[in-house]
Amino acid sequence: MISQLFILSSKGDRLVYRNFRGDGGDDVTDAFYRAVTSLPGDQAPVFMAREGQHFVHVRHGGLYVGATTTADTSPFVLVEFLNRLVTLLREHCGTLSEKSVSVNVALVQELLGEMVDFGYVQTTATEVLRSATHGEPETTKAFSLLDLRSVGLFGAETQQSRVAPGSVTNRPVLPPRGEQGGRREVFVDVVERLTVVIAANGTPLKVDVQGEIRLKSFVPGACELRMGLTEELSVGTEEQCGYGRLPLAAVAFHSSVDLEEFEQERVLRVTPGPGEVTLMRYQLAEDVAVPLPFRLLPSVEWEPAGRLRIHLKLRCDLPPKNHAINVVLQLPLPREASSLAQELSSPEQTAELQGGGRSLRWAIPRCQGGAQLGAVFRVQLPPTPPLGLGPAALTFELPALTVSGLRLRWLRLSAPPGAPPGPPQRWVRHLTHSDSYVVRL
Amino acid sequence: MTDSKYFTTTKKGEIFELKAELNSDKKEKKKEAVKKVIASMTVGKDVSALFPDVVNCMQTDNLELKKLVYLYLMNYAKSQPDMAIMAVNTFVKDCEDPNPLIRALAVRTMGCIRVDKITEYLCEPLRKCLKDEDPYVRKTAAVCVAKLHDINAQLVEDQGFLDTLKDLISDSNPMVVANAVAALSEIAESHPSSNLLDLNPQSINKLLTALNECTEWGQIFILDCLANYMPKDDREAQSICERVTPRLSHANSAVVLSAVKVLMKFMEMLSKDLDYYGTLLKKLAPPLVTLLSAEPELQYVALRNINLIVQKRPEILKHEMKVFFVKYNDPIYVKLEKLDIMIRLASQANIAQVLAELKEYATEVDVDFVRKAVRAIGRCAIKVEQSAERCVSTLLDLIQTKVNYVVQEAIVVIKDIFRKYPNKYESVIATLCENLDSLDEPEARAAMIWIVGEYAERIDNADELLESFLEGFHDESTQVQLQLLTAIVKLFLKKPTETQELVQQVLSLATQDSDNPDLRDRGYIYWRLLSTDPVAAKEVVLAEKPLISEETDLIEPTLLDELICYIGTLASVYHKPPSAFVEGSRGVVHKSLPPRTGSSESAESPDAAPSAGQAAEQPAVIPAQGDLLGDLLNLDLGPPVSGPPLAASSVQMGAVDLLGGGLDSLMGGSGFTAPGPAAPAAMGAPLGSGLGDLFDLTGGVGTLSGSYVAPKTVWLPAMKAKGLEISGTFSRQVGSICMDLVLTNKALQVMSDFAIQFNRNSFGLAPAAPLQVHAPLAPNQSVEISLPLNTVGSVMKMDPLNNLQVAVKNNIDVFYFSTLYPLHILFVEDGKMERQMFLATWKDIPNENEAQFQIKDCSLNADAVSSKLQGSNIFTIAKRNVEGQDMLYQSLKLTNGIWVLAELRIQPSNPSFTDLELSLKCRAPEVSQYVYQAYDAILKN
Repeated sequence: MISQLFILSSKGDRLVYRNFRGDGGDDVTDAFYRAVTSLPGDQAPVFMAREGQHFVHVRHGGLYVGATTTADTSPFVLVEFLNRLVTLLREHCGTLSEKSVSVNVALVQELLGEMVDFGYVQTTATEVLRSATHGEPETTKAFSLLDLRSVGLFGAETQQSRVAPGSVTNRPVLPPRGEQGGRREVFVDVVERLTVVIAANGTPLKVDVQGEIRLKSFVPGACELRMGLTEELSVGTEEQCGYGRLPLAAVAFHSSVDLEEFEQERVLRVTPGPGEVTLMRYQLAEDVAVPLPFRLLPSVEWEPAGRLRIHLKLRCDLPPKNHAINVVLQLPLPREASSLAQELSSPEQTAELQGGGRSLRWAIPRCQGGAQLGAVFRVQLPPTPPLGLGPAALTFELPALTVSGLRLRWLRLSAPPGAPPGPPQRWVRHLTHSDSYVVRL
Repeated sequence: MTDSKYFTTTKKGEIFELKAELNSDKKEKKKEAVKKVIASMTVGKDVSALFPDVVNCMQTDNLELKKLVYLYLMNYAKSQPDMAIMAVNTFVKDCEDPNPLIRALAVRTMGCIRVDKITEYLCEPLRKCLKDEDPYVRKTAAVCVAKLHDINAQLVEDQGFLDTLKDLISDSNPMVVANAVAALSEIAESHPSSNLLDLNPQSINKLLTALNECTEWGQIFILDCLANYMPKDDREAQSICERVTPRLSHANSAVVLSAVKVLMKFMEMLSKDLDYYGTLLKKLAPPLVTLLSAEPELQYVALRNINLIVQKRPEILKHEMKVFFVKYNDPIYVKLEKLDIMIRLASQANIAQVLAELKEYATEVDVDFVRKAVRAIGRCAIKVEQSAERCVSTLLDLIQTKVNYVVQEAIVVIKDIFRKYPNKYESVIATLCENLDSLDEPEARAAMIWIVGEYAERIDNADELLESFLEGFHDESTQVQLQLLTAIVKLFLKKPTETQELVQQVLSLATQDSDNPDLRDRGYIYWRLLSTDPVAAKEVVLAEKPLISEETDLIEPTLLDELICYIGTLASVYHKPPSAFVEGSRGVVHKSLPPRTGSSESAESPDAAPSAGQAAEQPAVIPAQGDLLGDLLNLDLGPPVSGPPLAASSVQMGAVDLLGGGLDSLMGGSGFTAPGPAAPAAMGAPLGSGLGDLFDLTGGVGTLSGSYVAPKTVWLPAMKAKGLEISGTFSRQVGSICMDLVLTNKALQVMSDFAIQFNRNSFGLAPAAPLQVHAPLAPNQSVEISLPLNTVGSVMKMDPLNNLQVAVKNNIDVFYFSTLYPLHILFVEDGKMERQMFLATWKDIPNENEAQFQIKDCSLNADAVSSKLQGSNIFTIAKRNVEGQDMLYQSLKLTNGIWVLAELRIQPSNPSFTDLELSLKCRAPEVSQYVYQAYDAILKN
């Protein structure tokens, strides 16, 4: 169970503090901040036993969201709860930042009172909390340019044809009371994370696709939502996977999802209240051949006097109508490089040395499918015996694309009786981003 | 409005301002003011001065405002109990409010106010709320019982709330059930014996039904409660497992893990032959794997738990190696955990894959991670024998990179590989030696030195290499110094001719110039071993070392079983049982896994799970690093040392003196008999000493050894007795006196029909049994006989006093001889005099009865003297230090009841020897001379 709960700013200032069980001193936040800032580098920060207390915390938006606890508590409960709390605060305060939390202290306290009683988590469901709380959120001005966390998932540039307005999701899901409407919108995101390891000879060693379908609803009241998934979907390995099938190794659904039509028609039915919920998590079966978005063709030459000439060719194997954004290639160097000379194929690309010369960073803002980019780098290394270059790591986002091919075919909303006329705005977005995309050299 | 207005400092003026606003007539202004107060309170400012003003806002129909006021009350009621009373009426009234939200809020808040006077008023409203028609109120009331119990346990019992709470387990609303379970579980923890939860198949059934319906967090309470249930047989265990299994696909990882915990525990009860067992095992893997795609914090917790699970049941995840491969953007703490699990899952089947990964990791940027990866390669080599060769070549590749920290880690693990597979990979030594200069970390230097010493005969310039390390001997860390000492001794034993100088140098560095006791002692051990018996030294130092086996860091099986019970608690994150980190009042109940039912399984240990990869691994846990350094010490100290060597009284075994007396005592010691059966000799002494124990300074050091026994001397030479030679000595064991004889037949004919008789003597010594020689004594044969004596024979004063005349008869003739017995065989076990008695007796005995003696060149200190003498029944009554000299006051009693009192002055004469001055007082002064002789004999030997 949770003894005390707190949110600290990045500088250790107390923004929110709540003592649920009446034990422990009030100086616990100071003890926590001391512990977390003096932690040796090789120790995991998630759980810490210090000064007779057990601390757990997660970091979001630069804030420490933490709790003290007793020894017999499930660590999963604690971490899950803290993560849920973060999601809920985002829903209620729009964004999660020092400013938004401190403005809404009274609301946060009211929420905490409903969520946790005597250290026992009671509920984290938005609709339940909605009916039990009465505070109104104070909105802060959106400063999405600084808040990097909001980029990419909600509110990023995602779909060519229908682009949701920027930072549209960075507002409280709950419209102010008394005002009917606001913007009634539903967002459904299919987000996939790609983990790939490619051997030096170009064969993929490991391709792992994890995905989730997320729903964020700004529609007050309950409305039934039905969505049709790709029909080729098959779950488990017992089924024969023929051509064109899309086998998933593991699927987990949110408890609110009605699966009556899933077996036959691949239809999910859900009646969400306002708020964010992950409807489905899935993992693609291992033996599916997924088209890899990038190939890297390196050639490395050692020149005399410790000069290293690296010629990188990056080929984007996406369909021509798709593109990748925010592509960054990180290449660890064997020694601290002292200088870098570069030849890049277009002016918006950049390259620089990082980590005191231990790694090379090549950034490409946008890369169209089918394109091939070349770059030549010359780095000056200390004169020591040659040694293999470390594996190159790529990060990127692929808007409007799921590598697995799982898509939402359609999304239907049936408004509850008494709702204002006109269907709510529906946004469906597909996105793939790299979790870990490693090319060995 | 701007946010900054909540956070300006609370100066006096501001409190004043807030006060005014709180008392405003306008509702909106009031609410804003309370919000400001809460904001200040939250960031830790003291706004307790506003207590009455805030409480005044309590009576309102605005629920938001009411909540804020209640929050304020919870925070400050404890510091202002008298004023908090003012709020009680509103609380009680709110508990009757038609709005269930307000009823619940009131009872929830009251439970959080830990003020006794308020608690009293809580009981009636709580009773009503527990039976409220609204489930929201009932679930809040259920938790409130736990709150009240925390404040006043007796009150809860007296008021019968526990029974009401038990009834709530059958409530129609699943959330009420869940909260009742949580509350009861918490209360039950402080009453371990009470059967509060009273789990039985019926109530379990109810819980399982509620499990399907309640919120995710409620499911966790119920699952955690189920984990404490002990099913009555395997059938019930299986049916519970079946109903819990669907939770494994829940999106909330906490639900999943609580379910895993229940399943892991109940699986213990299922027979492994069951089909269901296999099915269940398969179902456990996917949810665990799914956890690895969550946020890094959750991944970390999951990995720590998986680490335990794969040690207990490696079969669950043996095919899932790939998911533990490190992603480059994992946080370092996740990377390190994954690495650990990879090694635990490594087997012959997947080792190639694992090695390829590890090699890649070794080229990453993060130094900590790279080091761990290199070590992991070594651990793979030790774990999977078939992979050893590949591991070694991988390590050699890494050494070629010349990256400093990679080379050093590689050398450390290669040393371990040598110890696991001796005489297999020594061809790589040359490569290792090339990197000697780049080693700057103690562990790597020590490992390299160990390798050079161990394989000195194969390294041509081993002496040069070691000599180069020796130059900076004093700057090295202890680890390196110890290793260098051992390595040079090994070198010397292998190539004695050219390295004599080197070994002397290192021995003198270790023993004379070092302040480190470990180093010095190890130096001395080697020195003495080498100078006494080089052959033995060779056997000891170059002995075959035990192979290090298996993984070095498996969790010990009993601890692992305990930790498995704590899966899903903090213990599983720290990998320590709660007893190791829980502080405070909450009792720690040790948990254990349930026994497996089904007779065929019962004898099998839980570790023998059907796993191909791990079947052969019986966890022989050997610590890797310390072990290497410790191997010699362990071998050297093989013979058990019975107590501090210097105080070892009459036990004189060569091995003991290795540590203590010096080489000379080794030589001298060989002549003495070790009194094996004499061990319990002095057992009677403490019994007889009674109250005198207060002054028993020697504390029983000597009590386990017997009385001093002189070496045997020839009493009757063969030429005087027609070929019969008799040698012997006297001993005292367990209160009885013995004459230990050796009869040797040096004649050409067989001897038989032995008998013995004593002449009358001063203390009435006589044989207590006939001399028994069971078989005739053939020519050139000897027989050892221990002849028990008593002191009830005829008495005649002899001169000298301890003279004994003996007649021995055999089939040939009768022979006579006389011998002198040491007086201490007559010292009885109850010879310890009370202190007062001693003082009185000492004064009482006239001074002319006092006799003075000198015992020169004794090598013992006061305590050693005391314990040594106690072994021969001379008891120290008191010890004093006068002007830097130790004085011992001692007493002894002879078999005929004569008391002898002694004062022993110990004067240091030179650093290693002392002179003893002995004053004896006795009513029969003629014995003093012989008592002194006994002292002298005991102390000098």
